[in-house]
Amino acid sequence: MKRMLAFYALCLALAIGVNTYADIARPSPTPEQPKIVFHTSMTVIPDKKAYEARLQISQDSLNELKAALANTTADNSVRRRIANSPARTVIAGLCLFLSLSIGGIWLMRSAQPRGQKMAALLLLGVAVVGASAIITQANAGPPPSYQWRNLSQNLNANKPTYASVDIEILPEGYGMKLVVPVKNQ
Amino acid sequence: MERTLNIDLRAARFGYRAKSRNGVKLFAASVIVCACLSAALASWLPLQISVVTVFLFAGPHNWFELRYFLMRLPVRFGKSRNFFLTAFAGIGLLTAGYVSLPLLYSFTSWSSDAWSMVIASWNTLLLSWLALLVWLRGKNKRRRDWSWAIPAALGLCTLNWLAPELFSLAIVYLHPLVALWFLDRHLRRTRPEWLHTYHQCLVLVAVLLTGIVLRLTQTPALPDDNGLFWRITQHSGAQLLPGVSSHLLVSVHVFLEMLHYGVWIVALPLIVPATIRTKQKRNRVWEVETVPLARHPRGVPKLVGAALVLGLFVVAVLWLGFSVDYSTTRDIYFTVAIAHVLAEAPFLLKML
Repeated sequence: MKRMLAFYALCLALAIGVNTYADIARPSPTPEQPKIVFHTSMTVIPDKKAYEARLQISQDSLNELKAALANTTADNSVRRRIANSPARTVIAGLCLFLSLSIGGIWLMRSAQPRGQKMAALLLLGVAVVGASAIITQANAGPPPSYQWRNLSQNLNANKPTYASVDIEILPEGYGMKLVVPVKNQ
Repeated sequence: MERTLNIDLRAARFGYRAKSRNGVKLFAASVIVCACLSAALASWLPLQISVVTVFLFAGPHNWFELRYFLMRLPVRFGKSRNFFLTAFAGIGLLTAGYVSLPLLYSFTSWSSDAWSMVIASWNTLLLSWLALLVWLRGKNKRRRDWSWAIPAALGLCTLNWLAPELFSLAIVYLHPLVALWFLDRHLRRTRPEWLHTYHQCLVLVAVLLTGIVLRLTQTPALPDDNGLFWRITQHSGAQLLPGVSSHLLVSVHVFLEMLHYGVWIVALPLIVPATIRTKQKRNRVWEVETVPLARHPRGVPKLVGAALVLGLFVVAVLWLGFSVDYSTTRDIYFTVAIAHVLAEAPFLLKML
């Protein structure tokens, strides 16, 4: 009798579970991230005489855009293959760690002052390059949004605004959008 | 009497130098003509030249390599016993693993990521084997410590695990250059006076390669609409490097392959007899006695003879296969040919 009760209880629990699962709304698909395919510059020119908004692209930029669009699938596939493989990345990191540690031990144990001097010079060079990279990064120019900071004033004053822009390909939608970074001043 | 002897010696030395100078000139002229002609043909008709060169020279160059390796093989391994045992075991196991990959691909439906893992694992085994060989070879050298090979191999493993397919493609392009290294080591031993000229010729090869790259960078992709041409472009890495013109890739690969075939079929057989010339008699490549392993009282002439005859038979079968079904034979050849790629490593290490 107890077994029968346990069996019915299990069936009931499963039935409720199935029903409950059936009532769960389908998970919304993760929105696909837009892909940056091309980086160029753009000038926004207010024109009082213009009848229709126009998007003007130079022939050279169009050709470059076409080439970028043709290469984007391949470039992404190679990059994605490296980035989207955690197991391989972990093994690569492990190999790099072992390589550097064993290489360091070998260097210290090898009783060749000339080799050690060379290695010390190499390490010093790497340190200098690294430090200079940090310094130059610290002194890097303003972010791209800085160039757009006067857009509204320029529009009001009927002046052109020149700034950089990334061309993105959206998987859905229609037409074109211009997203301008706006910072509160 | 003494004066007469001195005059004779001077005359002999002068004669040798004049002969050597002529030989260097002939050698340089041959290398320059061959390299320029190879570069021109590889750039002009890469696919057609690839088909023709593989058909004509793939098998024979393997036979010459086999003969060369037999010549370099000692009668008794002695202190190098562990080195040669590791070398032969590695060649056997790695070749078996490489040959089994296409079969595995046919019978499984693994994802591309899983395949990348398999390829990376094979490459890691190859690197480990090479590092072990370098370490074992270094043990026989008193003054040199070759244990740097282990961190170097691990560093290469890092690159391999980041992009296994590109690492395998690098092997495809680097393998033909190994023949040039063999020639360098051989000239160093047998004709040191040619070495400077040879290095100048290597600069020419680099210039020609740069020229091919600059000339063909902007060229459109090669038509790979038929199965054979598709295979050739894939072998050169057209799928892995879509941003690079397939014309450039195939041309560079064919150029390097032609140099590789030239070294094994022409250059090395012409230089090797100079080192083993006996009783002032020029030795022929087909004579079994030219191989020390066969000539030595404790050698194995029958085995050497059988290996060379079997090699000739395989060359004939390969030509027949190419005539009947070129594409399939090419696929099979480039899969099995990994054995000769691997075999070059221990013999090159023995020359260092």
